Amino acid sequence: MMTTILLMACITFFTRYLFLHRALPFKVGPKMQQFLSFSAPAVLTAIWVPIVFVTDEGVNLDWQSPYLSAAVAAIIVAYKTHNIYYTTLVGMGLFLILN
Amino acid sequence: MRKALLKGFLDMLPLCLAVIPWGILCGSLAIQNGFTAVETQAMSLLVFAGSAQLVAIELIAGNTPLLTILFTTFIISSRHFLYGLAVRHKVIDQPMRWRLPVSFVLTDELFAFSHHRKAYRTKIRLIYALSAGFSFYTAWNLWTFIGIVAGSLLPDLTHLGLDFAIAATFIALVIPGIKNLATLATVITAGVMATLLKSQGFELWLVAAALTAMTVGYIISRIKNKTEHNL
Repeated sequence: MMTTILLMACITFFTRYLFLHRALPFKVGPKMQQFLSFSAPAVLTAIWVPIVFVTDEGVNLDWQSPYLSAAVAAIIVAYKTHNIYYTTLVGMGLFLILN
Repeated sequence: MRKALLKGFLDMLPLCLAVIPWGILCGSLAIQNGFTAVETQAMSLLVFAGSAQLVAIELIAGNTPLLTILFTTFIISSRHFLYGLAVRHKVIDQPMRWRLPVSFVLTDELFAFSHHRKAYRTKIRLIYALSAGFSFYTAWNLWTFIGIVAGSLLPDLTHLGLDFAIAATFIALVIPGIKNLATLATVITAGVMATLLKSQGFELWLVAAALTAMTVGYIISRIKNKTEHNL
């Protein structure tokens, strides 16, 4: 078991460290950099949207879903305030009330 | 320096709290599946990757062959290549003693705080990043520990719908950053693609959705640049 855990640790660390290794002989050019500038919104959104819409039974587009209403509220608060604390509090608060 | 430490901690705090259900689940699920307490904690201390840990616990419990477990870990972790590529130009001039710890804590959560033009480029910004990264590391291990000790007494918080906490914090991180059409298109594409691919059970859903969305964003920004040049 410990061997498996150690090997897993090597893999996750490898994926995180590889491109921060100096000896890798390449430079990220301006076009590639522009492409990569979209990675944060792309990955983070690809993580949170399925939490809202995907259930064990498939895609849930029901407007009554607490996930959807709370997400809409969180989006509005995030847009208006740019504040992570307000957004999380309103989103979670509404979610817990509806759920 | 003190300010940077504190700011890193405070910026990461909502995310540290948002992963409570997942951290506890990592601890309790492993114990339920026959891991010892030491093995369970070692996983969070060394692997430090929530989604990979949860999947691996189920696979190990199901006597899955080692190679399958490692391959699955690799697939789930492959999004980190994008993070490394995206921050490479900011971090690469720093000595090893900074790059090594930064890469160790380069999670989804820390990457979300890496977009600033000067991120990782000054000592203060490195201290800020490491403070944020290692406070998340500490929190993750603390929640795992609580899961190990009290897992059997607590309900599964993720099935209570507390998984929404992650969605709420990520919404707070993404929405304020939408400042032009290209980013808006990226976000919409990523959401639609991830939902479709994940619900279809496609293993590479996360990376595939992200790469498609980045391509859409990139193409739109290129077209916009061109039309602006032609005016």
